[in-house]
Amino acid sequence: MKKNRKYLVVSGPNLNLLGTRKTSIYGEGSLEDIHAGLRQRAEQLKVGVECKQFNSEGEIIDCLQEAPGQFEGVIINAGALAHYSYALRSAIGSMLLPCVEVFISNVHAREDFRHKSVIAPVCVGVIGGFGKKSYLLALEALAKLGEG
Amino acid sequence: MAKRVAVVHGPNLNMLGKREVGIYGGKSMDEINSEVAAEAAGLNVTVEFYQSNSEGELVTFIQQCRGRTEGILLNAGAYTHYSIALRDAIAAAQVPTVEVHISNIFKREPFRHVSVLAPVCIGQICGFGSHGYVLALRALMEERFDPWLAEERGR
Repeated sequence: MKKNRKYLVVSGPNLNLLGTRKTSIYGEGSLEDIHAGLRQRAEQLKVGVECKQFNSEGEIIDCLQEAPGQFEGVIINAGALAHYSYALRSAIGSMLLPCVEVFISNVHAREDFRHKSVIAPVCVGVIGGFGKKSYLLALEALAKLGEG
Repeated sequence: MAKRVAVVHGPNLNMLGKREVGIYGGKSMDEINSEVAAEAAGLNVTVEFYQSNSEGELVTFIQQCRGRTEGILLNAGAYTHYSIALRDAIAAAQVPTVEVHISNIFKREPFRHVSVLAPVCIGQICGFGSHGYVLALRALMEERFDPWLAEERGR
């Protein structure tokens, strides 16, 4: 019997401002639009999804530490923290849950400091550059992993 | 009319299923192509498949995609990390290109952490095995099935 799988989606600093800043890079939809799209896609995939956003690095770490047992996997858009937060990297590595890193923009086409993600090596994979759709593709990727 | 997408495999991907299966999985390139073709049929997309071990042939093929295909899924294998010629070909083709890798390249040797192609691609998907190709096809083609995204594009 298929277990009811549930996934955690965490967005990091400044992603609460989506739709209001640098819309040429990040698009015009809000984070709430993304969450609504994720809930819709989760329904189609017959999985559960819970979406959170934090500006504080420590709160993201708290949240990830509580994830095992509640969720089957995590989608994370760490925002700028992706490029330097070794604390986040350790938290992801400690979860022992599959984690997918997403970016809205193609970070490789942007400033040099955005080309490196310190969390990518502890994630299953990375999806970036597809706008808000990056999140939906990540959910599909996790759902597929969960089937296997 | 159905959209046309080229799926391009670079060097050594013809050996999939036979080499380093711990990293690249046990599926052959033909099996992966079949999965992509099945997904494409559902999206009303016509796919064509190409593989070459030769950088020059890949450059020529990508150049020829210009004006002929609406998208390219590219796993350039090791060329990803150093072929400026391939990068220039992608830029010249002016066809939206998605970079795909079977493995998570960021977990591997440092020389694989840099993709010289990524800046001229629309995005990158890596680490999900053969499913990465299916996700890439959806990334290229699926927005019209997501009303909330179509609406956003139209704004």
